[in-house]
Amino acid sequence: MSNLFNSLSAATLASLEVGQHWYWEIGGLKLHGQVFLTSWFVIAVLVVASTLATQSIQRVPSGLQNFMEFGLEFIRDLAKTQIGEKEYRPWVPFVGTLFLFIFVSNWSGALVPWKLIEIPAGELAAPTNDINTTVALSLLTSLAYFYAGISKKGLSYFAHYVEPTPILLPINILEDFTKPLSLSFRLFGNILADELVVGVLVFLVPLFVPLPVMVLGLFTSAIQALIFATLAAAYIGGAMEGHH
Amino acid sequence: MHWTVFLAETEGGLFDFDATLPLMAVQFLILVTILNATFYKPLGKAIDDRDDYVRGNETTARDRLEEVRQLTERYEQELAQTRKQAQSIVAEARGAASKIAAQNLAEAQAEALRKREAAAAEIEQQKQDAFASLEQQIDGLSRQMLEKLLGSELASR
Repeated sequence: MSNLFNSLSAATLASLEVGQHWYWEIGGLKLHGQVFLTSWFVIAVLVVASTLATQSIQRVPSGLQNFMEFGLEFIRDLAKTQIGEKEYRPWVPFVGTLFLFIFVSNWSGALVPWKLIEIPAGELAAPTNDINTTVALSLLTSLAYFYAGISKKGLSYFAHYVEPTPILLPINILEDFTKPLSLSFRLFGNILADELVVGVLVFLVPLFVPLPVMVLGLFTSAIQALIFATLAAAYIGGAMEGHH
Repeated sequence: MHWTVFLAETEGGLFDFDATLPLMAVQFLILVTILNATFYKPLGKAIDDRDDYVRGNETTARDRLEEVRQLTERYEQELAQTRKQAQSIVAEARGAASKIAAQNLAEAQAEALRKREAAAAEIEQQKQDAFASLEQQIDGLSRQMLEKLLGSELASR
């Protein structure tokens, strides 16, 4: 039984090509080519959609403008509830782009049959499938909330480390590391796990059985994008909030 | 990269950090600025403008509604007042008319009474006249009868 499982998992993992990358060498730097290819696709989708939506803005919206306005209102609500009515406006682009980029990445991984496109090494998948992407996004979030706190309160922002009592200083400092860590690993783990489960199921039972898992994957992907954006907004809002 | 030493893989693997990370961050920031210019600013402005427009229209509409309500109230008051006036005028006219009618009736009755009395007086007069002439005639006739029966000497005595 365990033998069977071992050989099975070895075979599937081998065929899924987990952890293999198509390396690009640019100026002595190593890049994951497959991640950039799909991320360019995602960026192109977002830029084209927003450009088309804002080409001729109507007072009574219809079609794509209506759809994108729905998205924008959703993002604004998200930022407003997390950051607060007074401060949320300058942060809408950052939080909104986090949501849109992660959402479109995740759904492109679930909906676009990337694996049919042959590349020299590894395989195309959602950009959020790569730890570099998720860590980049979560580090940007960390920078963003530090910037938000310092620009709002100056150096007294750092006073929150000894509040409510100096005993919590180590925990408060630890928080600055756990926040990006949990953000990046939550997203990376969920998307990778979803694609692995779908991949394994497709490998084992190619017909119909993977469909419910794929639908569940769409759901998880959307939820993960929402969670990432909500948490980023909550961190930014928390940094600007008065602790006194 | 040296991080991967901790993860027991020298090349590749799930936790293979390299220049992808900073480049992805830069790429993401560029995407933020592009979307800010093509998406958040114009559409946000459209939404805000629409909100202002709707709010403005709503305010003017509410003002107008209030105005209309006041006008209606005023007109209703005027209408009630006018109706009251009309009623009083009608009542007045009816009173005056009935007074005139009563007066005319009384006059007519008085006239009729007078005429009847005049007629009655005339009748009485004529009756008297008739009686008087009858008496004369009776006197004449009885004298003639006397003369015939007794002769004129006796009769004239």
